[in-house]
Amino acid sequence: MEGIIRILRRFVATTIFISIFLLIFNFVLLGTLVFTENYQHPSPEGMIKQVAQGLEKQDDSFQLDEQATELLKQNHAWAMLLGDKGHVRWDYHLPNDVPKSYNLVDVAKFSRYYLMDYPVYTSEHTDGLMVVGYPKESHWKYQLDFLPDWISSLPLRIVLLLLCNLALALLISIVIGTRLIRKIRPLVDGVHNLAREQAIQLDAKGIFGDLAQSINSASAILQRKTAALQDRDEARSNWIAGISHDIRTPLSLVLGYASEMEDHSDLPEEQRHQAGIIRRQGEKLRSLVSDLNLVSMLEYEMQPLHLKHIRLSVLARQVVTEFLNNGLDDRYDIELKLADEAVQIHGDEKLLLRAISNLVQNSVRHNSQGCKIIIEASLSKDRSQYLFIVRDNGRGIPQEQLAEITELYFSTRRKRPIEQGHGLGLPMVARIAKAHHGRLVLASGVDQRGLTAVMEFPVQ
Amino acid sequence: MENLKDKKILIVDDEPEIRTMIERFLRKEGFFRIYTAADCASALSICRTGKPDFAILDVMLPDGDGFSLLSSIRQFSETPILFLSARGEDEDRLLGLGLGADDYIVKPFLPRELVLRLMAILKRVYSSPMVERLSAFRLGEQSIDLDSAVVHRNQKELPLTAKEHAILVKLYENQNRIVTSDALCQAVWGDDSYGYENTLMVHIRRVREKIELDPSKPIHLLTVRGLGYKLLVKEIR
Repeated sequence: MEGIIRILRRFVATTIFISIFLLIFNFVLLGTLVFTENYQHPSPEGMIKQVAQGLEKQDDSFQLDEQATELLKQNHAWAMLLGDKGHVRWDYHLPNDVPKSYNLVDVAKFSRYYLMDYPVYTSEHTDGLMVVGYPKESHWKYQLDFLPDWISSLPLRIVLLLLCNLALALLISIVIGTRLIRKIRPLVDGVHNLAREQAIQLDAKGIFGDLAQSINSASAILQRKTAALQDRDEARSNWIAGISHDIRTPLSLVLGYASEMEDHSDLPEEQRHQAGIIRRQGEKLRSLVSDLNLVSMLEYEMQPLHLKHIRLSVLARQVVTEFLNNGLDDRYDIELKLADEAVQIHGDEKLLLRAISNLVQNSVRHNSQGCKIIIEASLSKDRSQYLFIVRDNGRGIPQEQLAEITELYFSTRRKRPIEQGHGLGLPMVARIAKAHHGRLVLASGVDQRGLTAVMEFPVQ
Repeated sequence: MENLKDKKILIVDDEPEIRTMIERFLRKEGFFRIYTAADCASALSICRTGKPDFAILDVMLPDGDGFSLLSSIRQFSETPILFLSARGEDEDRLLGLGLGADDYIVKPFLPRELVLRLMAILKRVYSSPMVERLSAFRLGEQSIDLDSAVVHRNQKELPLTAKEHAILVKLYENQNRIVTSDALCQAVWGDDSYGYENTLMVHIRRVREKIELDPSKPIHLLTVRGLGYKLLVKEIR
């Protein structure tokens, strides 16, 4: 909607600009094209002045100088000088049909309009009235009369005229614009919905018909592909869920009977020990199955998140406390450096606990010689991210494996065999971070020793 | 307590081997009135006729799911029910518990875990309605009675305030284990208790004045720096 209003605004502005430009352009054209023909050189007024000046009285006769004669000749004009009594005292090429004598009424008449259809112009001369006539129909003479009021209000009228023009242009542009917009709007909505991956069916009639058709088919293709992709992801996830479900029943029997045998006092010590191994391996398999299920649900974005406001520092203390309460060996030293404790992130408590726990467990499991584990939490410098860092000074991970260690081990991108653990720990952390719109960054510690795992979460 | 073993238990699972195994474990524990069913229909008829005192239900059954079976049973019986499911998703767990199941165990399970949870539910539901008493315990020279919220020391009675009592109960429930200050704050002030850490320290000091001989050198209520507190209780057998 906003986009459409923006288009309309631009359209109207452009139209008004074009109208104003056209108006100015027309004024310029009026000056250069229309009125230039009239603007002959010299103008009748200019010429008559020159002729009047060029006529000199010598004794009893008059003499016109060369320049004025030439001017008259060029314009095919004639001239005469009327004396005080209305008689022609001097003339130049006076046509035959022009009278030689005039009374006051005649003079008043032709001084305004025509003399025998000749357009004439008059001027004062020391010896009378100078009259210059042009060939018939070569000039049209109009008399303009103006009232002073009219002249003084002329600027206002011109402004009013311009305003009327502007209003008309605005009206027309809005009408045309809205008509156009009404046709474009479904298309715009369609494209927006296309971006939101909604199904769209536009009316393929009208001037934008082919465009609407293209959008329709793009939507259809997109829907088909999304559906296919979803089907495939769902199939994969369901497959893993199905497998883990099918493993659970036999595993129940294995675990159940193995632990029964382990506790059976009639059995020899060795058999009970072996049953214990079966039970422990079964439990390992159990955690592998549920982790695999969780990771695949996260991978295909099918894990439901129970979001609430959480302070990660609380979870950090909880995880460390659990490790200590469950008898963490003295070889491991855990230090907490928690800052900005008030900051909350929007997250799933269980998953975040699992992620932190995995990172600590990872440091413990891969450093049987013991190590120092530092857990840090603080806001990033620009305060847009909350950083949760688990750092150890243990053996670390070779640089070339860092990039691929968060890939699932059945992915083609991760080829190296896993040394310890089932290799789902870090991939799970990476996916949990991703599910929270954050990410996991792994790096080697100082001197390529130890591992630094940074989880970044956006702060709301 | 012995009469709990007289209770009638119904096991519903479509896997015969699982049924056999659970029945075996329960018999070993001393239960002897055990019914089994492989589907919803037979489970329902046993519920109507045999009136079991406890039911262990699988979620996926050949003629329906355990959730609808639970709803059907609930229409005429308040029998406690424990789900034993191969589906570990949180949704299923919440759905089951929300429908009124008493517990939810995900397969694979350890027999001991199943028996413990079953016993816990039986105790809660069928034991004589005795008022659950909070424990009294000894800490060195002092004896602490959580039920009446009093510390006995040198023939003197030192009453505990409500907050001190709540702190001690939480610590005693997790005796010899670290309890984070967050968990303590939550136990005392409820959810959204951020910012009470300093107040908690004040209360801990008052508790120490009552239970420690030398409150500045505590030997029972220890501070675990950066994490929380730990109540050391030596079991006297």
